[in-house]
Amino acid sequence: MRKTVALILLFLLTQPLVFAQKHRSLSEEQRIIHVLNRLGFGARPGDVERVKAMGLEKYIEQQLHPEQIADSAAETRLRELSVLNMTTAELYEKYPQPGQLLRQLQARGMMPEEMQADAAKNNQNQPPANPLDNEKNRKVIEEYYRDNGLQRPQRIIAELQASRILRAVYSERQLQEVMVDFWTNHFNIFANKGADRWLLPAYDRDTIRPNALGKFSTLLQATAQSPAMLFYLDNFQSVSPNANQGRRGGLLQPLRPQQQQQQQRPRRGINENYARELMELHTLGVDGGYTQKDVQEVARCFTGWTIFQPRGGGAAVNAMMGEAGRRNAGTFFFNARVHDDGEKMVLGHKISSGGGIKDGLTVLDILAHHPSTAKFIATKLVRHFVSDTPPQSLVDRVAATFTKSDGDIRETLKAIFFSKEFNSTEAYRVKIKRPFELVISAIRTLGADTNGGPGTHRWIERMGEPLYGFQTPNGYSDAAESWVNTGGLLERMNFGLALANNRVQGTTVSLAKTNGEQAKVMDEYLKTLLAGDISAATREALLKQLEPSDPATKVVGLILGTPEFQRQ
Amino acid sequence: MNRRFFLKSGSVALASVGMSLSAPSFLGRIVLGNTPVGGKRKTLIAIFQRGAVDGLNVVVPFGEANYYELRPSIAIPKPGNSDAAINLDGFFGLHPSMSAFKPLWDSKRLAIIHASGSPDNTRSHFDAQDYMESATPGVKSTSDGWLNRYLRSKQDKDQSLFRAVSMTKTMPRVLQGSAPAVAMSNLSEFAIRAGKSSENLQGGFEAIYARETEDSLAGTGRETFEAVNYLKKANPAQYQPENGAQYPRTPFGTSLLQIAQLIKAGVGLEVAFTDIGGWDTHVNQGNSRGQLANLLQQFSSGIAALYQDLGQRMDDVVVLTMSEFGRTVRENGNRGTDHGHANAMFVLGNGVKGGKVYGQWPGLKSDQLNEGRDLALTTDFRDVFGEIATRHLGSSDVKSVFPSYTVTQSKFKGFLS
Repeated sequence: MRKTVALILLFLLTQPLVFAQKHRSLSEEQRIIHVLNRLGFGARPGDVERVKAMGLEKYIEQQLHPEQIADSAAETRLRELSVLNMTTAELYEKYPQPGQLLRQLQARGMMPEEMQADAAKNNQNQPPANPLDNEKNRKVIEEYYRDNGLQRPQRIIAELQASRILRAVYSERQLQEVMVDFWTNHFNIFANKGADRWLLPAYDRDTIRPNALGKFSTLLQATAQSPAMLFYLDNFQSVSPNANQGRRGGLLQPLRPQQQQQQQRPRRGINENYARELMELHTLGVDGGYTQKDVQEVARCFTGWTIFQPRGGGAAVNAMMGEAGRRNAGTFFFNARVHDDGEKMVLGHKISSGGGIKDGLTVLDILAHHPSTAKFIATKLVRHFVSDTPPQSLVDRVAATFTKSDGDIRETLKAIFFSKEFNSTEAYRVKIKRPFELVISAIRTLGADTNGGPGTHRWIERMGEPLYGFQTPNGYSDAAESWVNTGGLLERMNFGLALANNRVQGTTVSLAKTNGEQAKVMDEYLKTLLAGDISAATREALLKQLEPSDPATKVVGLILGTPEFQRQ
Repeated sequence: MNRRFFLKSGSVALASVGMSLSAPSFLGRIVLGNTPVGGKRKTLIAIFQRGAVDGLNVVVPFGEANYYELRPSIAIPKPGNSDAAINLDGFFGLHPSMSAFKPLWDSKRLAIIHASGSPDNTRSHFDAQDYMESATPGVKSTSDGWLNRYLRSKQDKDQSLFRAVSMTKTMPRVLQGSAPAVAMSNLSEFAIRAGKSSENLQGGFEAIYARETEDSLAGTGRETFEAVNYLKKANPAQYQPENGAQYPRTPFGTSLLQIAQLIKAGVGLEVAFTDIGGWDTHVNQGNSRGQLANLLQQFSSGIAALYQDLGQRMDDVVVLTMSEFGRTVRENGNRGTDHGHANAMFVLGNGVKGGKVYGQWPGLKSDQLNEGRDLALTTDFRDVFGEIATRHLGSSDVKSVFPSYTVTQSKFKGFLS
């Protein structure tokens, strides 16, 4: 009890000291480490020296122009991830759902003989089991996958996750990867919602990456027209209740697995889901000054923004439309026939009737240039790069830059990176790393080798941040309170131990042999992993744990689990 | 040995960097953690059947002619035939693979609420699960789950670290929120896992987090090891299934077994959650046998084993099952069923007034169906959740648990007194 009280007293006594540091600016060395942590995923061995030689200002400038940075090492690592370069149509073809494949084969009369026979048997009174529950059928399907060079759809997201891990670890374009992570989370999509699994590689490649440092309005429009977002937030099935859908059923409903027909069947009517999240989460923010009426009007503007063949084409479409139908499966298209062409009123702007696709574009323009959007995006960026409690003065300046530069993300970021708030001790090592950041920074600082595979991703998932695994559109929290809890912290420590002991599948760490001088070995690793930024208490506790016979794995495992390493 | 709990809410003060003026919330909330904190506390075990179970083949309305009319190959035969439904009350019957539930029905410990679910008409698994867990149907922006709001609505005087446990890999939507909860896929994994060195390394981390005073993470670290050590000492794994209970050897069976162990160990468990998938039977669903039958067998025998295992402890436990929506009344062209609307929920416990199918039965004639195709809804799931939160868990602030919905005693079905 006495000890506890002493601890608490000590805790309180340290408070004023901490406050005294306010507004102090960082040393040159600290600034470099800070930039490598925040504009990237931590310093690899030698990075600090490289940035010092080049000059920090120049490094930041370069990071803001990723297209000018050669990146062959990362590109080489990505070579084997074939989904990255495939169109959505190709993904539908090469990574079919087993059930869908089965049905297509049935419909084309191409089912292997064995399964035809089973199907015939199943026609008798005894109810059949799921054909894929049957060992023999599963084998036939497996063989079909193999013989035709097909893969399971789960593979798509596994490869996409691997690409994110590999790029974050190996890419020289660190800020680009940080911003890809930021925007992917801002415009969150859940891989397990229906067809999104097939739509996400294009989302990462064509929607997020090219626009991560460009104009916000361009990025916003790209997400609005991305099949992944149209599917995730249901806009693809939002139609004017008055629309004459005519032949729609014939053309747009090719062979599909039964389980998908249900969601797929176009429901006559407006779906407000995208309209609401567009304003609440993508642009204005929940208190950004829109009403339920605005939601309804915006939803009307986006009717007809849909996906051609949202679940892949198949035989019927190919027969009807040939190659073009096949190639365009899973792409954006505007279906004028189901668009509500009446007049609308959005946030006080009149949108005249007969605008067609322009209605939605006008809405995006209004939202991208709304003052609430500038404030909302500035707040989120400052929270991400500076601190969980964004200083209001900085948010105001950043929002002003956002507005003045017509939503130029690069200019907006500059306003943050060169601010006194970003470069103050107050911001230094205060952000709790999210699990993705923790795993990547551990691998980078140790100079470990990784294939980015499921062995690595499983740890990120265990700690609670599976990539493309957040169900709801708000995305993962960027504040410490969401990540600091008993279960999560325990997994962080276990991850550190697993990594140091080479128990993370697909990732290899080579640690130097220790020579018995524990304090020296420990200090070397504290320098490598934390640039020596460790409290006296932690250092002393660490040292007490080490005995001459202890291997480096123990030193490193413990350091990765310290409170200090959880921060950046 | 210092066996004190440093407890705090989910929020973390960023004290080390002077970002927060408030003292860490564990100050002044230090309680003795030496004795089991559970005592006779009430516990809810919530089980989610993900994928939308076909409630009409689970609690079979064999008294409805239309049931047989619309389901020529997948209907469960009337009692008296082979492979027939287990007669409950002359109108409803249980799927024959759920015979493990029959004794619980007969002893009036199992209640059914039929034609219940979400008033929202979505047929998306994703949205419907979301709504069922947030308990705000139609509103997607709700950030927390209803069980978490329940925890927040009621002070836990024992401040148990294991008050809310989800036996799942990640925290389910229903338990997300600001009240502390623990998610773990397996009890044996809630530890430092480093083989022979585990103890040594845990000691190392404990020493680091015990000494650290500047970093707010340290409070969570101390709390973590209190929990790990507490669990180690409580050693729930020592409790073997009692009364001859046999759990299915599946992840679902293991989850239930471990929930029972936590209850027996007296760790203060108040809300437990787990889930079981595979109910999305669009194709070849089967009738008295087949894929749904196999899954129902696992589901019911698991819950029955839990009941048997906990024995007298079921006085203080309620088991609740739920699934995001029901399935179409008419079977589809693939001898399966598609996404529908209302469904059946089970509530079990020694305090449950069972042996009865609650809720108004809307009928299966075509004009009685929801949108001409699904079982219509007569009980909002919030009335079922609300009754359990109020009458079993003893929540006095049920209004905050179910925002923008009026939960009143008059809407309760009365399966709890």
